[in-house]
Amino acid sequence: MGGLEGLLSGFQVAFSVEGIIFVFIGVLAGTFIGMLPGLGPISAIAVMIPISYGFDPTIALVMMAGVYYGAVFGGSTSSILLNAPGISGTVATAFDGHPLAKQGKAGKALAIAAISSFIGGTVGIVLLMLFAPMLASVAIAFGPPEYFALMLVALTAIASLSEGSLVKAFISGVIGFMFATVGIDAQTGTPRFTFGMTNLLSGIEFLVIALGLFALAEICFLIINSFKEKNNIHQNIGSLKLTKSDLKEMKGPATRQSFLGFIIGVLPGAGATIASFIGYIVEKKLSKRPEQFGKGSIKGLTAPETANNAATSGAFVPLLSLGIPGSGTTAVLLGALLVLGVQPGPLLFEDEPTLFWGVIASMYIGNVFLLILNLPLIPYISKLLLIPRPLLISLVITFCMLGVYAISFNTFDIYLLLIFGVIGFLMRLARFPAPPFILSFILGGMMEQSLRQSLTISEGGLGIFLESPIAMALFIVALLSIVIPAFKKKTIT
Amino acid sequence: MLKTLNRKIAVLLWCIAILYLFFAYRLPSYAYVPIDSNALPIILGILLLVLSTILFFEKGDVENDKLNINKTDLLKLLGVFLLIVLYASFLESLGFLIVSTFFIFFCSYLLGYRKHVINAVIAILVPLTFYLLFTSALQIRLPQGVMPF
Repeated sequence: MGGLEGLLSGFQVAFSVEGIIFVFIGVLAGTFIGMLPGLGPISAIAVMIPISYGFDPTIALVMMAGVYYGAVFGGSTSSILLNAPGISGTVATAFDGHPLAKQGKAGKALAIAAISSFIGGTVGIVLLMLFAPMLASVAIAFGPPEYFALMLVALTAIASLSEGSLVKAFISGVIGFMFATVGIDAQTGTPRFTFGMTNLLSGIEFLVIALGLFALAEICFLIINSFKEKNNIHQNIGSLKLTKSDLKEMKGPATRQSFLGFIIGVLPGAGATIASFIGYIVEKKLSKRPEQFGKGSIKGLTAPETANNAATSGAFVPLLSLGIPGSGTTAVLLGALLVLGVQPGPLLFEDEPTLFWGVIASMYIGNVFLLILNLPLIPYISKLLLIPRPLLISLVITFCMLGVYAISFNTFDIYLLLIFGVIGFLMRLARFPAPPFILSFILGGMMEQSLRQSLTISEGGLGIFLESPIAMALFIVALLSIVIPAFKKKTIT
Repeated sequence: MLKTLNRKIAVLLWCIAILYLFFAYRLPSYAYVPIDSNALPIILGILLLVLSTILFFEKGDVENDKLNINKTDLLKLLGVFLLIVLYASFLESLGFLIVSTFFIFFCSYLLGYRKHVINAVIAILVPLTFYLLFTSALQIRLPQGVMPF
């Protein structure tokens, strides 16, 4: 199936009544969850997985993608209205978005954020449409050695995923990997680290870790912090209308950051957060009036909002075409796909073109929904933030437990959920980043498999990795992605 | 020696790494397998040892060294954990509806919600909606327990 033909069939799925309904549900749920300070896209996607159990994989993925960019958009809403970014990707949005809200122009700020998100998201999708199949056609020739090298690149992205200490990020990654070794070893049939518990023989379910480490840990933090801070939502958000001069000012940053954000999103490890900060810094440097940045500059709001949405689309390139997640969020999406019985990778494009293109097409629709439905609904959605926190917390916990139980029908997983919730909470207290944990948990199993497959092919000889030029090039990239951030941090400190 | 939080964590991680390595070395090995089931775990254990040693000597920032949780919050948190354990213990015997209703009501109460009527209505309606959604729409059976449906 060719690109255009594939896209048309994708639009057929996305424009079906079912498709439209679930994109809308996804976008709406994502917006709401992303808006809650603390709960980001990872939790949003993890919480939505149980709902998608009985679904057709295409529809499920269409909904998840909606949740993903809905959460990014929702995050910007709470950044603007509350100065409390729902997710790290929208921290930069608060720099100029909140000052605008304080000036009584919250409506304008929300409109700018929504339009920038739309532009960034849409340009990102067009680029995704062009590049993902291209990358998939190259990756189809990949064997176990190349895959091993590729996963090593994705894992070393941990270095750039870390916002604080590099060592802590790597420790988090190693521990995540250790949990991936629990269960029966596929090659020799040896039970590893199961301690005689039959419940552990099939390994630890990814959803248990995702919900525990993110949703439950974040809830623990809400319990500790939420009651201290009072919500002062700007009830009157003012007009949503933009003037011609506003649009003119947005033009430059929106165009530049759509492309820059996308490129950053494709790179493993660098997601929406890094894209939004780089976008902000670049525009500030380019601006003739940099002193306005931080005081309610339209450019300063447009840049991170465009960049983070473009990066969100960019992150789908390695996920859909290589089956390799480059960030914590896409790692959870990959896990969601595996739960649904879909194996992403270069063959997805060949074997399940409807799913591949359906998701891409649904992203167009999702972006339109974000713009025309969410924007006028924002004042009402933001009222949901007024739901008493104790009620909200108990409902979210119930939902997590239900989700975990419904995947295995085993209460053992609820205890595990609690354990990972505590681990996630302690990690956060001690400032260990959680995304490297989930990334290496998901990649760990796949990586070990490809390493052992490669060495079985070569009968134990390491030469197999040196013979492949692609693998060698990827090893060099992996090495550089550890050395460069380490070196940079050294020179900064 | 264990002045900073980083150092305490490093020692804890050391213990975890050693335990992990101990169990990794005890995994049986097979002939004719180029890379055995214990190979990667051993590498991971050693990596954790090395990384926690680096952490031990890393300078901790001041903020990092304070774990401020006040006692009431900690008690609330432990209360929620206990409720989760109770939920898991009774889910299959009492059924999803009853256990979830109790959980939502008491968890909200514990966290300070005092509008009992609203709390009770939500604690009954939300699990009921989930139950119907899962059993009828998604065809996923949830534990019925002592309930007749």
